[in-house]
Amino acid sequence: MTRFAMVIDLNTCVGCNACMAACSLENQTPVWKNMWRTYVHDKEIGTGEEVARRFFPRLCNHCSNPACMTVCPTGATFQDANGIIKIDEELCMGCQACSMACPYHARSPWHYDDVREGKNFFGGDFKRKQPGMDKCTFCAHRVEKGIKPACVQTCVGSARLFGDLHDPNDPITKMVASGMARPLMPHLGTHPNVYYIDEVKRGAPWTQL
Amino acid sequence: MAWKFPRLSRRAFIASTGAGSAALTLLKTTGAISKPALSADSADEYNYGICNFCSSLCNLRITTRTNNGVKRIVKLDGNPNSTLNRGKICARGQAGLRQTYDTDRLKTPMIRVEGTKRGEFSFRPATWEEAFSYIATKTKAAKIQPWEWTMVGGWTSCIFYMNWAVPFAMANGIPNIVASPMQHCVTTGHLGTDAVTGNFNVHDEILPDYDNAHYILFVSNNASIGAVSTARMVRFAAGRKNGARVVALDSRRSETAAKADEWICIRPGTDLDFMLAMLGEMLREGYYNNDFLVRHTNMPFLVYKDEKGQWQLANDAEGRPQVVDQNGTSVRSLPAFTNDNTKDVSGVAVYPALMAPANLKVGGKSVVTALQAQTEECSGYTPEWAERTTGIKADVIRRISREFGTTRPAIVDPGWHGARYGNVMMLRRVQAMVQSLTGGIDVEGGWIMSGEFHHKTAGFFAAKNAGKDPGPPLTNYPGLPFALKVIDVVSKPEMWKHGHPGFSWAFAEQERNAGRETVALPAMADYGLKEAVEGKLTYKGEPYKIRALLINAANPVRHYYPDTNWKDILSNSNMELVIAIDVLPSDTTPYADVLLPSSTYLERSEPTLYGNGVNHDLALVTRYAPIDTLYDTRESPDLLYKMTEIISGNVEGFLGMIEALAGIPAAPVKEELAREKAKGLTNPFTAACRTVSFDVTAKRVGVTVAELDRPLRDKGVFTEETKKEILEKYAMPWKMPVPSLSGRVEFFSGLFDFLGKGGNVGTHFSVFATAIPATCRKDATMDKPLDKDEFYFTYGKVPTVSYGSTNNNNPVLSAINNLKKDIYTGIWIHPDRAEALNIAAGDGIKLTNTVSGQSNTGFAYITRLVHRDALFIYSAFGVENPALTRSYGIGTATNKLIPYQLDPVVGGFRSQEFTIRVAKISEKGGRA
Amino acid sequence: MDATMSYQTQDIWTTWFAVYLYLGGLGAATLALAIMTNMYIKPHKEIVLWGVLSGVAMLAGGSALLFIHLLNHIAAWHVLVPTAVFNKPDAWIAWGVQFISGMMILGLLYALPTMVASEGLKRFPVVGAILKMGIVVGIANLVDHKLSKLLGWLAALCGLGTAVYTGLLLQSFPAVALWNNPGVPVLFTVSAFSTALAYLLLVLNVFVQRKEDHGLQSLYERLDLGLIVAEMIIIFSFYNYLRHSSESAMRSADMLFSNAGWIVGFIGFGLVVPFLIELRGLVSHWQSRTPIVLAAVLVLAGGFLLRHYFMFAGVYACPS
Ligand SMILES: Nc1nc2c(c(=O)[nH]1)N[C@H]1C(S)=C(S)[C@@H](COP(=O)(O)OP(=O)(O)OC[C@H]3O[C@@H](n4cnc5c(=O)[nH]c(N)nc54)[C@H](O)[C@@H]3O)O[C@H]1N2
Ligand SMILES: Nc1nc2c(c(=O)[nH]1)N[C@H]1C(S)=C(S)[C@@H](COP(=O)(O)OP(=O)(O)OC[C@H]3O[C@@H](n4cnc5c(=O)[nH]c(N)nc54)[C@H](O)[C@@H]3O)O[C@H]1N2
Ligand code: SF4
Ligand code: SF4
Ligand code: SF4
Ligand code: SF4
Ligand code: SF4
Ligand SMILES: [Mo]
Repeated sequence: MTRFAMVIDLNTCVGCNACMAACSLENQTPVWKNMWRTYVHDKEIGTGEEVARRFFPRLCNHCSNPACMTVCPTGATFQDANGIIKIDEELCMGCQACSMACPYHARSPWHYDDVREGKNFFGGDFKRKQPGMDKCTFCAHRVEKGIKPACVQTCVGSARLFGDLHDPNDPITKMVASGMARPLMPHLGTHPNVYYIDEVKRGAPWTQL
Repeated sequence: MAWKFPRLSRRAFIASTGAGSAALTLLKTTGAISKPALSADSADEYNYGICNFCSSLCNLRITTRTNNGVKRIVKLDGNPNSTLNRGKICARGQAGLRQTYDTDRLKTPMIRVEGTKRGEFSFRPATWEEAFSYIATKTKAAKIQPWEWTMVGGWTSCIFYMNWAVPFAMANGIPNIVASPMQHCVTTGHLGTDAVTGNFNVHDEILPDYDNAHYILFVSNNASIGAVSTARMVRFAAGRKNGARVVALDSRRSETAAKADEWICIRPGTDLDFMLAMLGEMLREGYYNNDFLVRHTNMPFLVYKDEKGQWQLANDAEGRPQVVDQNGTSVRSLPAFTNDNTKDVSGVAVYPALMAPANLKVGGKSVVTALQAQTEECSGYTPEWAERTTGIKADVIRRISREFGTTRPAIVDPGWHGARYGNVMMLRRVQAMVQSLTGGIDVEGGWIMSGEFHHKTAGFFAAKNAGKDPGPPLTNYPGLPFALKVIDVVSKPEMWKHGHPGFSWAFAEQERNAGRETVALPAMADYGLKEAVEGKLTYKGEPYKIRALLINAANPVRHYYPDTNWKDILSNSNMELVIAIDVLPSDTTPYADVLLPSSTYLERSEPTLYGNGVNHDLALVTRYAPIDTLYDTRESPDLLYKMTEIISGNVEGFLGMIEALAGIPAAPVKEELAREKAKGLTNPFTAACRTVSFDVTAKRVGVTVAELDRPLRDKGVFTEETKKEILEKYAMPWKMPVPSLSGRVEFFSGLFDFLGKGGNVGTHFSVFATAIPATCRKDATMDKPLDKDEFYFTYGKVPTVSYGSTNNNNPVLSAINNLKKDIYTGIWIHPDRAEALNIAAGDGIKLTNTVSGQSNTGFAYITRLVHRDALFIYSAFGVENPALTRSYGIGTATNKLIPYQLDPVVGGFRSQEFTIRVAKISEKGGRA
Repeated sequence: MDATMSYQTQDIWTTWFAVYLYLGGLGAATLALAIMTNMYIKPHKEIVLWGVLSGVAMLAGGSALLFIHLLNHIAAWHVLVPTAVFNKPDAWIAWGVQFISGMMILGLLYALPTMVASEGLKRFPVVGAILKMGIVVGIANLVDHKLSKLLGWLAALCGLGTAVYTGLLLQSFPAVALWNNPGVPVLFTVSAFSTALAYLLLVLNVFVQRKEDHGLQSLYERLDLGLIVAEMIIIFSFYNYLRHSSESAMRSADMLFSNAGWIVGFIGFGLVVPFLIELRGLVSHWQSRTPIVLAAVLVLAGGFLLRHYFMFAGVYACPS
């Protein structure tokens, strides 16, 4: 059995947005209305003079207990055996209950005019046929062929790591098991499968002076 | 995201056509016909190419798919076979394919509508024949002389078409090339570095080995890492994961500084002071690699102070450097050019001393070693001294010097963009010196030169040693020898039949004669262009006018300082003809008379093979066009060919020059050209050159053309030698000299010594590292408090746009920029300062240059991530041409704030050497 | 991960959705109450007609709003087919859709005999014609004689289900503390029946106006009073829960309890004032109908405000 998951090492994410660009072109997302399957926060954190800038990539967590799937009345949102949460385009009526339920802002809508614009923008290769919900698929079409997701493939900081948590030898399994990589808002019970490694500053100045 | 009441934000009932089309879709997707049969032609196909968005030159894998007979590029990826960018590309690289599909592209040649003025984007579509005949007629009618032409090139034309552009200039008698990257970055920044390492090339050739470094220091640099140069970033990430400690000097928390363990928020313009203190500390404390300095640098050379207080080499009668041996007893002469100081001129072993004994005299003069002299020069440059201007605690400077000096391997990133202050060239020199103190040149975990550069340099030295001509200069001359050769050609009137040097050299002479300050090496600069256009330049008593411009892949209206300069140049009535070649309607294109559309980098097969950029491995790459051109566009070599027919008719000369300068033989090119023309190709000359280039290259590397072509088609790279093999054979200066004037790594600068002897005076030309204060305010040092509304000005590259280029119009990149609008297009200002001026986030503010009076507006982005004394702007925005529909009107153009101020060495821009006054003009959301 | 958090409201399900929740709860409860009144309190043709017909209209209106806002209208059939609940038994919308469509059909069937008998309705153009059709009359007779009780109970259960569903739906969104708690379905159900009683009071006082309904009226008033009290207690416990719970909850509390629309509009005029009016009516009868009509209108408005502010103040805790 496979349980796909992602580990994001914040230590080497430089906030370059290459993942966003890669994802939008790989998965034909509606950039014209600024909708992304993945996005990278660029945030100022800290207090007083100890300020830092944090880049923080986000995407669907492919939760093991996904609120989005529970609420979906049509069964459009479903889970594959490998853990990937998918949306069946033909079943989705676009009620957006899943968007409301997802605690991670991972879903975005396609409207009728977006589908029209998509044809225009992506030309003859455009895949989507009808409006409905959209979100990250962990690039199922790639990972099922053994290739890394587009965002992982291009991540210039190698901050995004992708793997199989059911494979004890996968490096990410160890990162997760050791507690070094941790998920977002686990208290919500969604059992997310995107894990983050916090930034560590080596030899911070106040310890060195 | 606040949910306002009452709010019905959602779209009203969906348009009926929408419902209709959905109904059809439903029919289509039910039952057996639901899965559109995967037609055989929609499988992925791969081609390989090179990214065209920055000089990192990443290797691409291009995926195409064919649907209903139409082939389309659907995805770009880093070439997985590339050791340069390791299968990765940045956001610009990823989004690149949308340049090709940009709806705003230039799609046909266009000619200015009769009666409209330059600056108005009023063109009528034309055929290529019409466009060429327009150019020919105008050239003839206005009697434009060869030297009255100026070519303006951006980095694309520089890197990919230099082998055509320079021969074109030579063959047509055009001594004038203004090259975008020079004044802005290459010359100003790199000449400093390269004065030490000797490796001046057209684009930087140092790729620090971050993978293996234990300590990495960035100084006024972000693009290497944070704005992403993929080749560097992938290595940096590995180094950081391996535990390297990272320190960044930046006046704001850049993307790079965000990844640093320690961000040193330095006052702008004072980095040189920091680095001088660091150099001083390292010399004083002995934090250096003794053996390296002794053997491979000119640190042991004996020097003396002349009566004017200038340091001079204590050379022997034959002009060879002298050293004193370890015992301090015997003074020996060393070969003038070598990489190893341990053999004197007679071949006798010597281990030179880094410290000469006190009171050593040579030829009657008191001498010390270069190391001692530099230490003496640095005596005033203490951490306490630097604390005053930099605002960084002396303890911190001392600690960083110690950490850097005692951690091996350590890297101080060489830096990239130079043109900020008159002192940046010196800053980069000191960085190179600091790096050299550790011996970290061409070693694991240090600075490593590119494979191509090693190859070129090795070939050059081998030829020289054998007493042979090294071959075509564009391809076979490395580093400083190349730079000097170029300068030779463009600066000397005798190199040209018509006896005119480049206008910038003529202007320098005119200024010098008038007793004004001037520029020593205004190579490829726009220095004097405005005067030449306005008829204010005379050469040998005759007016020297510039009356025609051929602009290729350059956007001077957006990229040069200030914008008005170039707008004036372009609109001047003396200017008879302006031709612009571009892919998109840049801010410069409205000023053209004729617009020639170029194919994009994904639509063209290049006329030759290229080296692999900064890669440590020696490899060859090229572009294979994955799709046909979408529009009626052409390629640079063919355009230059055609322009040669028009300007001088000297096509033979053009081909001959290509042979002489770039090594592509003329005879076979001519034959191929005839063949390709017969086939009716749109770009026959490009194709011909490509065929012959493949031939020549295959011969050089000892394979057949097919054996060269196959791996390039299948893998995108043809690797000749690996980093390991190269370093074993050619490590500089370990195994062979560096191409500096002495063959050694130079602390005492041969280049600046030479320039000084040529009559250039002042600290900029100092042979040793020395302080050059930035002068942002008249009669005020950098530490003097600023007025309440006064700031230093800083800018930098945004990760999602190249320069201020047309790719800010790319729909994917512009969407990201829109998502991060506040950060990317706002003006960064510290909250403490903003509050005092009653400025809140998003307020419209006006910036006024206190030196030049220029002003521009924007909106405030309030953040503690910027130095209190500084404003920061990402320099990619401010597009003025509405034809760039996605980027028009967004952000603040930096070149409306930057005046024309040049450094005296190469005419590099001093684009931050002033202060800015800030005033609030409107509340958030109001029009700024 | 110790990510920094930001707190955001949503703009996906906005005012229109509050209207949907409101009409759904109100329509369902009205229908259920009307049928129950007719079956167990006193046979009452007007109440049946008014209750069932306006209940169905409200449900239809609410559902239409939801339908309009779907991204893909055609795909909606996946949830309209009754198998949807077997397909997705954990999805409350699937149940809600079945409850709503179920009760619309059951309610109409239940009322059919009354409708067929109503001279007024038969005068309506299309409706009249349908009501006169043999088959319709036949079905009406069947209902009248055999199925009335069963249909009534089924419809009422669907009504209860719908009212509860509107709360359960919100409860299933875990990131929002205001919604994700068991108080919501209770609150929404109580509010649904309270507004339904107010609506029926309005019908009795404005449209029907029969002396003999006096007892029924005061029963409604008493029930409503009880529900208002229950609602006030629930709101009070919500206040306490929100004030001393997660950050998301506290932010919701901040938004609600600093908002005049919520405090004055909903709590003041939607609960307290009608409570006082109806209390006074209980203690010593009002002489005119006006106060009760006013109270009913206020309760109805309050019911909407409750849902509006609930949607408005749902605060998502988001990592950023
Ligand atoms: N505002 C601003 N100005 C800057 C800088 C900045 O960051 N901001 N950076 C400075 C620096 S460091 C540098 S190196 C220079 C770089 O300056 P340039 O080398 O001039 O920069 P680019 O913007 O890449 O290219 C200029 C033009 O080339 C066109 N172009 C792109 N691809 C092609 C092509 O394939 N064929 C042809 N014919 N044209 C093409 C673009 O549309 C654009 O109009 O700019 C300097 N000036
Ligand atoms: N995304 C992107 N990447 C690029 C390019 C691009 O156009 N876009 N162009 C390429 C080219 S040609 C070049 S030249 C390079 C340029 O790359 P860099 O040399 O890195 O230049 P910038 O990004 O302009 O600025 C770097 C940093 O300098 C900081 N800074 C400004 N003034 C001072 C100062 O006085 N002291 C200190 N310590 N810091 C200061 C700024 O805050 C900024 O973070 O980028 C290359 N890479
Ligand atoms: S590509 Fe990687 S480094 Fe760049 S923003 Fe995305 S996650 Fe961060
Ligand atoms: S992150 Fe959101 S959309 Fe993704 S599986 Fe979890 S709940 Fe569903
Ligand atoms: S929008 Fe689509 S996927 Fe989401 S809950 Fe509704 S039907 Fe399911
Ligand atoms: S895994 Fe694929 S779909 Fe998901 S964010 Fe990455 S690129 Fe996009
Ligand atoms: S770093 Fe980015 S823009 Fe530069 S060459 Fe590589 S992919 Fe292209
Ligand atoms: Mo540059």
